[in-house]
Amino acid sequence: MTVRSKPARYGSVAQALHWVIVGLLIVQFTLAKVADHLPLGPDKVGTLARHKSVGITILMLAILRLAWRLFDPPPPLPPMPRWQATAAHVTHFAMYALLFAMPLTGWMMSSASNYPVSWFGIFQLPDLVGPDHDFKEALEDIHETFFNILATVAGLHIAAALKHQFIDRDGLLFRMLPWRSR
Amino acid sequence: MAIPLRLKSCAVLMTLLPAIATAAGWRGDQHSGALQFTATQAGAKFSGHFGEFKVKFDFDAANPAKGVLDVAIATASADTADRERDELLHGRDFFWAEHFPQATYHAEGFKPDGKAWVAIGQLTLRGVTQPVTVRFELKPKQKRLGMKGGAALRRLEFGVGQGDWTETNWLADPVDVAFDLSLQPDTAAASP
Repeated sequence: MTVRSKPARYGSVAQALHWVIVGLLIVQFTLAKVADHLPLGPDKVGTLARHKSVGITILMLAILRLAWRLFDPPPPLPPMPRWQATAAHVTHFAMYALLFAMPLTGWMMSSASNYPVSWFGIFQLPDLVGPDHDFKEALEDIHETFFNILATVAGLHIAAALKHQFIDRDGLLFRMLPWRSR
Repeated sequence: MAIPLRLKSCAVLMTLLPAIATAAGWRGDQHSGALQFTATQAGAKFSGHFGEFKVKFDFDAANPAKGVLDVAIATASADTADRERDELLHGRDFFWAEHFPQATYHAEGFKPDGKAWVAIGQLTLRGVTQPVTVRFELKPKQKRLGMKGGAALRRLEFGVGQGDWTETNWLADPVDVAFDLSLQPDTAAASP
């Protein structure tokens, strides 16, 4: 596997960023669900603090990933009907947009509720907005809606990748995996 | 050498007299400025303020050892701009405002420290009294007296944070208090 992408496969950097972000998104979802069910106590503050730190990590990785994508464009899509190619582009664009929108709305929520964000206790991030209860409630709805959109779009993305791999049998999944295709 | 000495004490008296003449009582409340606190949750600092408090300050720069500072704070007026956290803060695990509606600070005698003044007074919070050092600067402005300073304290010394909240990993022990006030002459106290 090469660092940069080849026509038949994503490079190691693009693959690493893809899968690390996938892993962190699963961690993120789990932390949010756990925090949701906790009463306001040190455990909740701690769980949400981790959720925020991981979220900021995803934001940093998303910036890195976008920058890398500009430097190292992804391999072209394999032959497919035009509507599928369009769907793939729209899906990818939506996921990139949400990788930015979700951490940013989360960060704004923290600022609006006067719970500033610290990245793993190492440094404190500036507040994006001032304390505002109603705005925080609105952001909470938006953050959740964005999650629902992300879950749906990621579901489509996974379904499409599996369809290519197991129904079309075009080996598309291996483009994002370090192993040889055959 | 007797004459210069006498002159010197004369000069001291001259400078003291106006100070004694202006020595006065001052007072203030939430309309005089801000009384804030800053705590650290999960490595991030956040601030809140008290929406209701009273300050009485008797001070004479010529005799700071006789000065008195009294502060009374309504614990239920603690406001951190988050309803859920404010409820918790007013509740039994923190200020227990229902049971301890007031926190008080009382200091007698001030010592100069550079341009600032330092007092070691007693803070009574949630039924616990502990010495707390307050440091402040004074700045007369027309008919008012600017008073700006702060104190560093540890919340657990006062039992602020019970049960799970005695752990300091997610909510740190040190809390900074800061005030920036513009006190007005206490006319009621001026008459003997």
